[in-house]
Amino acid sequence: MKQEDIKSILIIGMAGGLAKITARLLVKKYPNIKITGVDSRSISESIQNENIEYIRMRYTRGNFEKIFRDKEFDCVYHLGRMSHADTSSLGTSEQRLDLNLMGTKRILDLCLKFSVQKVIVLSTYHVYGALSDNPVFINEDHPLRASIKHPELRDVVEMDQIATNWMWKYQSDIETVVLRPCTIVGPQIKNTMTRYLITPYAPVCADFNPMFQFIHEFDMANVLKDSIEKLPTGTYNVATDECASLKASKEILDCPTIPIPSFILSSAARLLNTGFWSFPRYLLDYIMFSCIIDNGLLKSHLGQDSFRYKTREALLLSKLD
Amino acid sequence: MDNILKALKVDIPEEKFDQIFDQLKSRYPDGEDPWGLNLNKARTTLEYIWPLYKSYFQVRIFGKENVKDEPYMVTSNHSGQIAIDAMLIATAFATEMEPPRILRSMVERFFTALPWVGTLAAEGGAVLGDRQNCLNLLSRGHSVLVFPEGVRGVAKSTFDFYKLQRFTRGFFRMALTSQTKILPVAVIGAEEIFPWVYQAKGVAKLLGLPALPISPLYLPLPSPVDIIIGEPYAIPDVSPEAPDKEIDIHIDKIRTQIRHMTNEGLKNRRAFFANQNHSKVPKDKKP
Repeated sequence: MKQEDIKSILIIGMAGGLAKITARLLVKKYPNIKITGVDSRSISESIQNENIEYIRMRYTRGNFEKIFRDKEFDCVYHLGRMSHADTSSLGTSEQRLDLNLMGTKRILDLCLKFSVQKVIVLSTYHVYGALSDNPVFINEDHPLRASIKHPELRDVVEMDQIATNWMWKYQSDIETVVLRPCTIVGPQIKNTMTRYLITPYAPVCADFNPMFQFIHEFDMANVLKDSIEKLPTGTYNVATDECASLKASKEILDCPTIPIPSFILSSAARLLNTGFWSFPRYLLDYIMFSCIIDNGLLKSHLGQDSFRYKTREALLLSKLD
Repeated sequence: MDNILKALKVDIPEEKFDQIFDQLKSRYPDGEDPWGLNLNKARTTLEYIWPLYKSYFQVRIFGKENVKDEPYMVTSNHSGQIAIDAMLIATAFATEMEPPRILRSMVERFFTALPWVGTLAAEGGAVLGDRQNCLNLLSRGHSVLVFPEGVRGVAKSTFDFYKLQRFTRGFFRMALTSQTKILPVAVIGAEEIFPWVYQAKGVAKLLGLPALPISPLYLPLPSPVDIIIGEPYAIPDVSPEAPDKEIDIHIDKIRTQIRHMTNEGLKNRRAFFANQNHSKVPKDKKP
């Protein structure tokens, strides 16, 4: 996609910290574009930028069709995947499945219908699953095994697969990029893993110490911004070269931990996961086993020095409010 | 720790370890790598292993001159029921070779899921024995340690000691893909660490276990261990996807080289009460 073709962009999931940073970076790079940000959540701080319009709306087919008709988007960012962090009730779980699966499909179909030139979908490295027999440096062709042990992750895997299948099916009509980032950290990121990392005295497994890759929110937003022009149709892992173990990360953050054997921790998580401490059970696997992804394909397009923040800096900055 | 060292009358050569880890730190500047290696913890572990290596198993190294400053696929016979041989080979390459290196031992899939043990092994350099993992390590200039006999090699009954088992082909195809030289190694003495063993293979299969050693003694004995390093096997001009029969010629040569080294090693081994019955050179199984 060329710079002159970019006039109007839709960002789904605009209330998220990453979306807001991405929007600002996009406006900086393309000063004449109009960005429409939508979310079903209220935005914590108003966006003071005349190029960015925030619309709070329910994610319904009708609402999406209306904005697609009205705005004539050239590019769509789908950053609106609903997290598993607060999904204890059946109602929320159904809502999540509907949004992540049916919602994604509807959005992609609308992109095609309204001649959008590029779609960028934010998936996650969680799709590969944290398993004890994971090789190190999982590339984009690796099987998505997240739902083998945790059926509740089916929607995360399927959302990724819907996007990738759709991507290849319509590759001659529309450019699609699916990004699978490692753990995103930063002061504006409120995901479960970031909260877990910066929480003092959060339990860690005494008997496991998995490796992690962290990307700072600014670097991730930059990748999202550069995806428009620099990434051709395809699926890309997004990760830095550096890795840090969970316990080393906690030390960097100066967060004391409570080491507990994994079998006790998994039982405790079941008991505590009732509103008192919301930590999805599948994430326990991620604090036991590594899931290290290969960034070779991304770097072949964005260059070797695509990231500004080292792991240590990214982690320390995530503590800032 | 101090008590153990005093009991074994072994001093940790602090200066030597400092030099080794200074060299290793230039290779791993952050002290950790994506496979979970942690140099600080590896040093602590090595300091525990050192008295066992030096005084308990009294390890001798032969053929050190065959190790150059280049990555290898270190290929060894397997013995000793619980892979003590891997620990001793890795210690030898970390402490007695120039330059020192952390050998990345390829471990069985079940191993990485074991609480504490899996993490401890990973922090010391062990990695999952996965083809992609191995190629990723070799492409980054690491040396890996493989046992092509697999569990069949390590879990042998007493009457099968030192009989080389069939070699799998995967290691050689990976060496071909990465163009990494094979460094053959024979370990003598590790079989007698647990000298009286019967492997109940049928029961192990029923229980879904990789092995089930039955022995009157589960305490590892201080059998003196020799590690013999052979001349590197140069990688031939063969495609990694060549048919098995083309690959098997080379695997057989490597196996023969290790068998020869093992037989020579058995002739020159030190006396130990538990190796009286194994002084003869064994007839190994056909590949």
